Amino acid sequence: MKTIHTLSDLDVALAARLLALADDELILAHRASEWTGHAPILEEDIGLANIAQDELGHAGLWYDLYAALAGSDPDRLVFFRDAGGWRNVQLVELPKGDWAFTMLRQYLFDSYEAALLERLAEGRHEGIAGAAGKIRKEELYHARHSSAWVKRLALGTEESRRRSQDALDLLWPYTRQLFIPHEGDERLAAAGYAPRLADVHDIWTAAVRSHLESSGLRVPDSPGVAVRRDQHTPHLTELLTEMQRVARLDPEAIW
Amino acid sequence: MPDTQWPRYEVFKQDAPGQPHRSIGTIHAADPELALLIARDVHVRRPDCASLWVARTDDIFSMTADELAAHPDWAAEDIPGGAVAQTFHVFQKTTQRRGMTFVVHTGDVQARTAREALRLAMQRFPKPEVFVWWVCQAGAVTRSEPEMESSWFAPARNKTYKQQAYYGETGARPEGSGAGDEDDPHPE
Repeated sequence: MKTIHTLSDLDVALAARLLALADDELILAHRASEWTGHAPILEEDIGLANIAQDELGHAGLWYDLYAALAGSDPDRLVFFRDAGGWRNVQLVELPKGDWAFTMLRQYLFDSYEAALLERLAEGRHEGIAGAAGKIRKEELYHARHSSAWVKRLALGTEESRRRSQDALDLLWPYTRQLFIPHEGDERLAAAGYAPRLADVHDIWTAAVRSHLESSGLRVPDSPGVAVRRDQHTPHLTELLTEMQRVARLDPEAIW
Repeated sequence: MPDTQWPRYEVFKQDAPGQPHRSIGTIHAADPELALLIARDVHVRRPDCASLWVARTDDIFSMTADELAAHPDWAAEDIPGGAVAQTFHVFQKTTQRRGMTFVVHTGDVQARTAREALRLAMQRFPKPEVFVWWVCQAGAVTRSEPEMESSWFAPARNKTYKQQAYYGETGARPEGSGAGDEDDPHPE
């Protein structure tokens, strides 16, 4: 097994980016899966469960690439890592909230992924470009699903409009973290492996502003808080306690 | 009790280009675009699919063989003078065999009303036995678009059903590890 110390600076930067990609998908998948059996209608229960499974599959692709580089077992990473070791953004770890909150978060994240994956798929790293191309196809569907819901809730009843605006006001500051560069990102950009997040941010902002405003929502002025990906809310610990509970009961069990 | 459900939609799936669309089930949705999204999630996450249609159940004129026999005057109606002919899709169910109980898109007719469409369909598409006839205005159908194929339907082809047996026995331990649970059946 290779250790992180034997990797080149570029590989270290790559591993950090892959872990961030994987952790975002995994935690979002878990939050989406929390609706299983609780969604407003049966059809959406199935729909969101499907999306959660897709996100889980995407996380698996990124963990596999990470493991090939850093030598870690994805199952150990997911089920035996404490909150401090996770590199997901806080946006995806916030509790699922109501349906408006879940759909808005999904929309904001799906749009970010759509912009990011398109560029990753054109990158020079074969493994990453391949995974991004594959994931992107399903994300186009996810984005269509979540953007349709955002529009309907925002333009729906007075209550659904209020809940949508409340959700956006709460979520918006958290979106900033998606675009805060990692240490080593310049190396990845120079190698043609990944785009500069500032470029992704410009594309994302134009797309989501247009959709949110045409849905009658007011995009908050708040620039958001600049937090690193190793900083988490207490919600992540709660999520991990639940998610890892069974695996940690018997770490030797074979699944 | 009032029905608080969203409207019901019939879902039609085309397995491969050139094949007819067949009714594969129903879903509830608030509007046609969401109906199409939901139809994809509920009915075609795994099976092969080339195209998907949804139509409100209320927009489908349905007659079973029994209903046709019981109401010989079913086709009687006054068609308004200015009525214009439109395209109707015609669907038939021609078998009761298990696993093949689909209502299948058989062809189209031009008609001014649903009853007229069904009358024409029975002349145009005769079969030895038709258990159910459906006609639906083509304009009432919401369809997936060809460019959706790669994101809506193609990913399913690379996914496999995994039966429970695929995962083998769960909870088994490697030899010599995890001793002690027998003494404590409730480790929590």
